Amino acid sequence: MNLARDCLDKQLLDRHGRKMGRVDGLVMELEEGAQPRITFVEVGAVTQAARLHPRLGRFVAALARRWGRAPNDPYRIPWAQVVPTGDDVTVGVEAEATPALAWERWLRAHVVGRIPGA
Amino acid sequence: MKKVFELALGIVTSVGGFLEIGSITTAAQAGALFGYQLVWAIMLGGLCVIFLVEQAGRLAASSRRTIPDAIRERFGFEYYAVLLVVMALVMLLVLGAELGGICIALEFVTGIGYRWWAVPVALVMWLIIWKGTFSFIEQGVSALGLVTVCFIVAAFILHPDWARVAAGALPTLPTHERARYWFIAVSILGASITPYLMFFYSSGAIEDKWDESYLGVNRIIATVGMSFGSVISIAVLVVAALVFLPRGIRMEHYQELARLLTDAFGVWGVRLVAASVGIACLGAALEITLEMAYMIAQGFGWNWSKNQRPIAEARFSLTYTIVVILGALVVVTGIDPLKLTVFSMALTAATLPLAIVPFLFLMNDEHYVGEHGNGWLSNTVVVVIIGLAFVLAVVTIPLEIFGGG
Amino acid sequence: MARQEIQVELLLSRRVYALNGRVIGRLEEVQTELRGGACFVTEYHVGAYALVERLAAWPIGRALLKLFGGTRRGGGYRVPWDKLDLRDPARPRLRCEVGALKPIEEED
Repeated sequence: MNLARDCLDKQLLDRHGRKMGRVDGLVMELEEGAQPRITFVEVGAVTQAARLHPRLGRFVAALARRWGRAPNDPYRIPWAQVVPTGDDVTVGVEAEATPALAWERWLRAHVVGRIPGA
Repeated sequence: MKKVFELALGIVTSVGGFLEIGSITTAAQAGALFGYQLVWAIMLGGLCVIFLVEQAGRLAASSRRTIPDAIRERFGFEYYAVLLVVMALVMLLVLGAELGGICIALEFVTGIGYRWWAVPVALVMWLIIWKGTFSFIEQGVSALGLVTVCFIVAAFILHPDWARVAAGALPTLPTHERARYWFIAVSILGASITPYLMFFYSSGAIEDKWDESYLGVNRIIATVGMSFGSVISIAVLVVAALVFLPRGIRMEHYQELARLLTDAFGVWGVRLVAASVGIACLGAALEITLEMAYMIAQGFGWNWSKNQRPIAEARFSLTYTIVVILGALVVVTGIDPLKLTVFSMALTAATLPLAIVPFLFLMNDEHYVGEHGNGWLSNTVVVVIIGLAFVLAVVTIPLEIFGGG
Repeated sequence: MARQEIQVELLLSRRVYALNGRVIGRLEEVQTELRGGACFVTEYHVGAYALVERLAAWPIGRALLKLFGGTRRGGGYRVPWDKLDLRDPARPRLRCEVGALKPIEEED
């Protein structure tokens, strides 16, 4: 499997096929002499911002610490739960339970859900 | 056979994408100043759009992805972010122009200044998106969009010399006001070939759950749908040539548009102009608002679909709400709608390559289009369009200084 | 040697340096194999670009350069996982001679 072609930036789907963002980053673990392994899929604005510019990444991380709706570190999914299908990447989690949908849940409860007809 | 009813997607994309304030005003200006000479520009724009839209549909049907999905996946978040920011800024201005168009239409029938209509129009449009499903919006705008056929009827009532209209299909050099001629030609192309039109079509194809079996129907829909918009634009040009040109009305102020159909329909003329402009601009405003929200949601991988309830996709719903508010703000600032239209079309043309160049790669990448990739003709047309876009971008600025309004 | 964590998305598009310090290309792909539920890196693909080399920092730039013949010597190199030094992820370095690397066959 090729990471850039088949994994990075692909749509993430939870165990029910629900969209939960995209693969924004991949964490590789490197140990001297050992074959490198991909250990996590990373999702979130901090990861995205860092791809544009390291300073932007730090800025967004600072914002996340002040206003974050979830644990402040980028959300990481262990590789054991990840299944790349070529078309997208399925993960064995419940989207609703993850930080990936933290803003979605907050908006649903506090903003969108309060508007009639939602 | 049922698939042909999907024609509605083609018509709505056409009514909003092809036929909107930019194309209506440039067609009217073309007719008012140059008679039938610029029919070729409308046809050229229409032909380019048919090719682009057909390819957009083919990409969606083969890859089960929208164009924004595919661009992020193939070219990475970094490129996507740049494309998104640029397109969002341009689309916001165009949205302002389209909302302005709806407001102008309301001014025509009520006499109340267009700026006052900005907030109520924005609210109504927001409600349509909030409560309506994609199918409802698609079919509703298509059905209402048929009112624009009144321009074709008017053209027949006014008895043009059809041989001379047909002669306009061949490009000819202007005998007077050369800079203005080319400026309008460039504006007509800039108004027709818009990235949001193709992106919206691909999002719509995914909303309507197209797959490979839709490829043939896609060709018909793209052709018929976009031709519909072109034919109406040509009719607007013809009517303007018959009504404005003899009177020396130069279509330099938006209020002049109101008189376009009075010769043909008497008292009903103003109402029909208002209905046509209002609905076409409503279609465009809906399309742009949705497409901005789609681009953001698809790029970030959120849940998105107009066929779900707003509460199921809070971020998507919030996004289009903010877009509507920003669009209304643009109108409320009181920028002259005609100037805003012209400026936003030039910007659209200038930024077109950012979207079309990656698109061209996708249309030739088997990971996305499989065996349905572009043949030499489709590729050539797209390359020509990219070249045209660069020319449009470079040339519009000086032409705007020397020839524009 | 401590364990290191590297962000793959930041590694992609970086210039790769040969033993003598010259740039041999840009890291454009990481090939992996799935073994026992884990994902192991097998090799890195380094694309060699000329003309407007700065363009190669972007995937779209690489696509354009490939189209217009801006690639050098058949497209690039395959670097086995143990032949790339990533202790400084901002400057990936080869651990072997360029000549020892297999070329990437032009595909797609």
